[in-house]
Formats: sequence, C-alpha cells, structure tokens
Amino acid sequence: MSFLTDIAWRAGSTAASLWDAGNQLLYPSLRLGVTGLARSGKTVFTTALVHHLVEGHALPALRASAQGRIRRGRLDHQPDDVIPRFPYEEHVAALTEERRWPRSTERISELRLDVEYERAPGWRQGPATLTLDIVDYPGEWLLDLALLDTDYRDWSRRTIESSRRPQRHEIAAPWHASLAAFDAAGPADEVVAERASEAFKRYLAALRAGPEAVATTPPGRFLMPGDLAGSPALTFAPVELERDVPIAPRTLAALMERRFDSYKNKVVKPFFSEHFQRIDRQIVLVDVLAAVDAGPAALAELEDALDQVLLTFRTGRASFWSNLFSPRADRVLFAATKADHIHHTSHDRLEALLRLLVQRATRRTEAAGARVGTVALASVRATRETSVRQGWETLQAVAGTPEAGERVGEEIFDGETEAAIFPGELPERPEAVFEGAIPPGSLRFPRFRPPKLPASATARPGRLPHIRLDRALEFLIGDHLL
Amino acid sequence: MTRQPRAFRLDDPEVVTVRADQDVPERGASVVVTEEPMEAIEAADRALVPVGERRGFSWGGVLLSAVGALVLLALGLGLERLIADLYVSAPWLGWVALALALVALVAFLAIVLREAAGIFRERRIEKLREAAIDAVAVRDHEAARRVVRALIALYGERAHTAAGRKRLTAWSEEIIEADDRIALAERELVAPLDLQAKRAVANAAKQVSVVTAVSPRAIVDVAFVIFAAVRLLRRISMIYGGRPGLLGFLRLARAAFGHLAVTGGVAIGDSFVQQVLGLGLAARISAKLGEGVLNGLMTARFGIAAIAVCRPLPFLREEPPRLGDVASELLSNAERESSLR
Repeated sequence: MSFLTDIAWRAGSTAASLWDAGNQLLYPSLRLGVTGLARSGKTVFTTALVHHLVEGHALPALRASAQGRIRRGRLDHQPDDVIPRFPYEEHVAALTEERRWPRSTERISELRLDVEYERAPGWRQGPATLTLDIVDYPGEWLLDLALLDTDYRDWSRRTIESSRRPQRHEIAAPWHASLAAFDAAGPADEVVAERASEAFKRYLAALRAGPEAVATTPPGRFLMPGDLAGSPALTFAPVELERDVPIAPRTLAALMERRFDSYKNKVVKPFFSEHFQRIDRQIVLVDVLAAVDAGPAALAELEDALDQVLLTFRTGRASFWSNLFSPRADRVLFAATKADHIHHTSHDRLEALLRLLVQRATRRTEAAGARVGTVALASVRATRETSVRQGWETLQAVAGTPEAGERVGEEIFDGETEAAIFPGELPERPEAVFEGAIPPGSLRFPRFRPPKLPASATARPGRLPHIRLDRALEFLIGDHLL
Repeated sequence: MTRQPRAFRLDDPEVVTVRADQDVPERGASVVVTEEPMEAIEAADRALVPVGERRGFSWGGVLLSAVGALVLLALGLGLERLIADLYVSAPWLGWVALALALVALVAFLAIVLREAAGIFRERRIEKLREAAIDAVAVRDHEAARRVVRALIALYGERAHTAAGRKRLTAWSEEIIEADDRIALAERELVAPLDLQAKRAVANAAKQVSVVTAVSPRAIVDVAFVIFAAVRLLRRISMIYGGRPGLLGFLRLARAAFGHLAVTGGVAIGDSFVQQVLGLGLAARISAKLGEGVLNGLMTARFGIAAIAVCRPLPFLREEPPRLGDVASELLSNAERESSLR
C-alpha cells in the first residue's frame, strides 16, 4: 500500500515539475533554497540578501555588481497567493531601528525578487531580468525531512535509543518514566495517546533548552506547530515495540503508527514537495560556532541531523531533461554563519570546521555532479574588528554590543555597553573539536546585537554591513547574471 | 597554553580605544583597543574581479572572411585553368601540376591544423587561468580540483614535472582549501617555469640593451627590439605550455600589449624611482648607453606582460615578477659603469 502511495506521490511530483517547467519557459525564475536548522540565520540571510539587492549596494565579489551591470532589484508579487509574504520591511526595521534580530520564524513565508541587469557583452546583449524565489520557514520543520524515508517502527527505535545516551539521561528521565508506564498493546485511548505525546513534546523542548542548544530531533512541528497545534497528526509519540512482532490493529501502537504516517504524508510531504523539491540553488546555513560553544556532543548531533536532512534533497548536474522531470540543485553552498563573532584571521579555521562537519554531505553532492562551495559569512555583520593590547599580550578581538544577559568570564552584559570580546582560539586542526580536545571554557561566543548604523541624511535605511555575502551570491546566482 | 576568552568593556576607564591610524597613548591605560578598518576582511580575501573580454560579431570580420573567400575562389579558378592549359599542351605536365597542387593543399591543411591546435592550446591555458580565478574567488573546491587536474594534464608530457605531478595527485583526495590547492599546484608545477620565463626575459632584455648600445643605425635598433620581443613572446609561451603558430602568436601579442596598456607598463610593486634613477644615470654617461638601457627595460616590461598572459594560473602565492627581478642586471650594470667613469 505504502508502495502504491509512494508511486502516486512521485508521479504527482513529476507532473508538478512538468507544469513548473512549462511556466519556467514563460517566466524564467530561480528558486533559491535557503536551508538551515533553527537559529542558523535563515531569516537574517534572506533579509540581508534582499536588502542589498533592493537598495542597490555595491557587492564587489558579485561580478555583475562589480561590473556595474545590476540596474535595480525590486520586490514582486509572489507566485503563491495562499502563503504569507516574507515581511522584509519589518525585518529590516527591526535590524536597523530597534537593533534586534528578527524573532524566530513561526510559519512559512515567501518572497519574489526581480533583479534587473544588463547582460554581459556577448552575442546576447541588453537588459534582462532574473526572478528569484525565496522561501523562509521555521528551521525546526526542516528536521522532518529526515522522516520521509523512515517508518514508525524505525523512528521509534532510533528516537528512544538516542534518548538513552548518558549525556541525555537527566533530560530524558521524565519521558522515560512515562514511556515505561505506557502499554503499547493496550486499547487505542485518545487520552493516553495525548498524555504520551505531551511527555514526548516536553522532552523535545527540554532537549532544545538543554546544553546541546540545537534542535536536532524530529518531528520539528512538535517544537513549532504552526497552524496544526493540537491536531491528531501532531499527537503521537514513539513507543517501545518488540522486534519482529507486527503491530496489532486497534492498539495504541497502531493508532500511533497511523498518526505518524499521516504526519509524514499530510504534513511533511506537502511541505517538502511544495518548497524544496524544485530548488535550483541551495545554500545550507550552519551555525557552527553555537555548536562548538555547546561541546562535542552537540556538534556530533548537528552533523548527524544535517546529514539526515540533506539526504532528502535532490542535487546533481542539471540538464534539460532533469529540469523537466526531476529538478535538481546544481550548486550547493555550505555557509558557516555568524562569522563576525570571530576575527577574520580565524575564518579559515571556522571554514575548515564547517567542511569537516558536512564532509559526508559534500562527498555525496559532489559525486552527484553538483558544485559545492563553502564559505564563512555573516549576513549582517554585528561587530568591528580590533586588536587588543593587554600588557605584553596582543589579542585579535571583535567589538560590538553583546546582548543583554550574555556572559563572558565574569562580565555580564546589559545590552547597551560596547565591548571588545576575545572569543578564544579555534583549533588549527578541526578534528580536535570533535575529539573533545578543547578544554571547556576555552571558547566563548556571546551573541551580539545588530550593528549601530550611522545616521544617514536621507530617511533611507542605512547599509547593513556583511561579511562575504557577495561571495555567496556570486556562487549561487552569479552565472545567471551573465 | 591556550588563551582564555575574555571581554573588555569599551566604557571602562582602564580601556583606551584608538583607530588604526592614530598613535597609541603611552600612559593612562592598561588595555589598548585598536579598531581595524572595516574593509580588512575584503582586503584579506583579495577579491579578484577578472575583466571579461569577449568579442562579439563585427562587420570587419565579415568583410575579411568574404574577401578571403573570394580570393580563394579566384585562386582555385586560376589553378584549374592553369592545370587545364598545361594538360592541353602536354598531358604529363598537367599531371605534374595536379600533383603539385595536391601537395600544396595537404601542406596548407597541415598548417591550418597546426594553427588551430596552437590556438586551442592557448585558449585552454586562458580558460584554466579564468577557472582558477573563479575557483579562488568563490572557494569552490570541486572547481579547484578540476583546475589542478587540468594543469596536471597540461604538463603531463614533461618529464621534469613528474615528481610534482605525483605529489599533486596524491593530494587530490585530501581536504584542502580551494586556494591552497591551487597554490600547491602553482608551487609544484608553475613556479619552476616562472624561473625559466624570468631568465628568458632577463636574457632578452640584456641582448636588446647591448645590441642597441652598439648598433650603428636607429632602424637596426627598432628591428632588433621587435625581433627580440617576438622571439621572447614565443619562448615564454612555449615555456608555459603553449605552441603558438602565427595566428596564435598574434592573439598573444595583442593580449600582451593590452596588458601593458592596462598596467601602464609598470609592474605592480615596482619602485619607479629605481627605473628613473638607473636610466638617468646611464643616460648621463652616453645617450647610446641610455637608449640601450631604455630598450632593455621596455623589453623586460613586455616580457612581464607576456608572462602574465601566458601563465596558466594567476599569481596566487608566488610573487609576480617585477622589473627589478628581470632587469636588475641591466640597471646595476648601468650604475656600475657610471660609477667607473
């Protein structure tokens, strides 16, 4: 049965790509897949990208911009009328006026950007327009893509196994207690199911608030339910199942399995096929520094979660036929975000760390024929670089306004004072971080508030500084601006 | 010992903030924070923005092609008439003429093929350089790998690069930064060629200066300078793996002159003073000697431009050659001679 639905789903998605390809001929557009787990900076990246293109700022490493061929960028009506618009103006106002980061994204939104440019000298000349479609969504939801290829039994086993790891012992204890009291072979009682699901949700929330600090365990809608809060598709939990014993009908386990399947088919699959299946270029944002800050266990968890998620994306060399039947991302850029938290002399090490983190995904993507790049970037640069001389020592530090409540050593910040922060030294050998060779407390990356922009004479918003955003753009869309 | 993370409040009276271009106060603070310029990162990235030059359709080209085709037709017609006439007067003469015409055709085709191969090879080198610039600019690892592979293939038939090629192949699966990977290839394969090329430029510059100094007529100077430049360009192109025929040579020469025009004839990082000083000293001794040095310098500059045009990689970690490197002998000679007088 599931085989049949799978085939039907695939046929449907092929039809959708054909329809899309037809549209593509009439109105060429480029879908940019901004992917990243929660708090990796998707919203800020999208906002900064739109900001620079719409305001027409110089982006030296974007060749079309350096050659002065970009005439203007403007926001256009988005193609889907039922999806909220990406509140770009609101985000820019939050960044520039209130100096706060946009709140975490709770629902999906979409944006279409037209870039008008002059073609590079060649046999096709003159003005042209590139249409960019960007989707913003809660990063938690991305985790669900890892569920697409699993079934309930498998997922239950893995989730329970990973919760029994010694580091999670304390966090998972309440859930384990409720799990032990749960009778999978009992009658399918709604109240019991709800209680089990509640306990599981509390565990997931505690996991995110815990020392690992990165949400990496699906299902993501349990953390960020969107419009589906309380619906049956979101009321299930893993249970312990005997190996090789089929799930009997009308038991609690059978109810859970059915709900897991409908979560997969009615929530995750539409989300995936509507927004991720037909992307042309992909950028994967990874907050490496936060994971390093949280320790080797968090890094390993992040690596695993990223790998699971990226497995579901179709990448590879794009051709005419692949565009028609199964579109692929032919360029994938891995970006370590928040590079402004360290001095640029350490950016190489940050990048090396990122490469190690996504090594498996990189190999796979390259083998499929797609181009892979890595970059350490900051979509909005919140700090300035400084060198600090204290006694005989000179430290390469960054200066900015740490957020209220951030703590470095004995200092606790109030969100108003500026400070120069030396975050410690990233190791020369990236493997050292995974091996746990970094003594705890030798690295600290506090969060900074967005930068204070110099007041401009006109009422236009100031230029948000960035690090290597232009390079990332050149890799992602540069060849479409020729 | 690793250094612990720490924070310095900028409003702390113990902390003094200065800009990079200001002097650090001697007293009054235990901690000095120096603000670095915002563009430091862009500067460190060395954003290379290559200037694309592609030529489009031109009426001149059409004219030339059409006229060329007409001339070819006329030639063919003439040839045909000639052979027919010869055949009429004596059949064996006609056969000889036909055979000769066939031999000429074969030779012509061979030349065309050689020219085309030379141009394709040059274009390959140019493409390689552009790909390397692109790979470094966006840190594309797969592209960097491709560039290195292409470079290994380009120098595959040269015995003395075997060791370097082997090392590069061994590194091909390692995880290395994109620009590091290309820089490794630069060091292993291209740097030895740089040495040869520099030597060739230095030799040519010396020859030109000596010949100019002793030549009896200005026209001889000019002829020799042109001859030396042509030979130098061919030599450098061969060193870096090109095999220019006539057309390929013209392409290269145009690119080299274009490069000269763009850089204003002064290689980056050159001390202009040195050039002027050396020249001034030499010129004071004898006009002829001064001319010789000037022509030598010109040849050296042209040689540097030729290196930039023929090299399959941009200069990443290796120092680009400067006038001082290739013409130092020239300048120091001039200085020494002037001090002898």
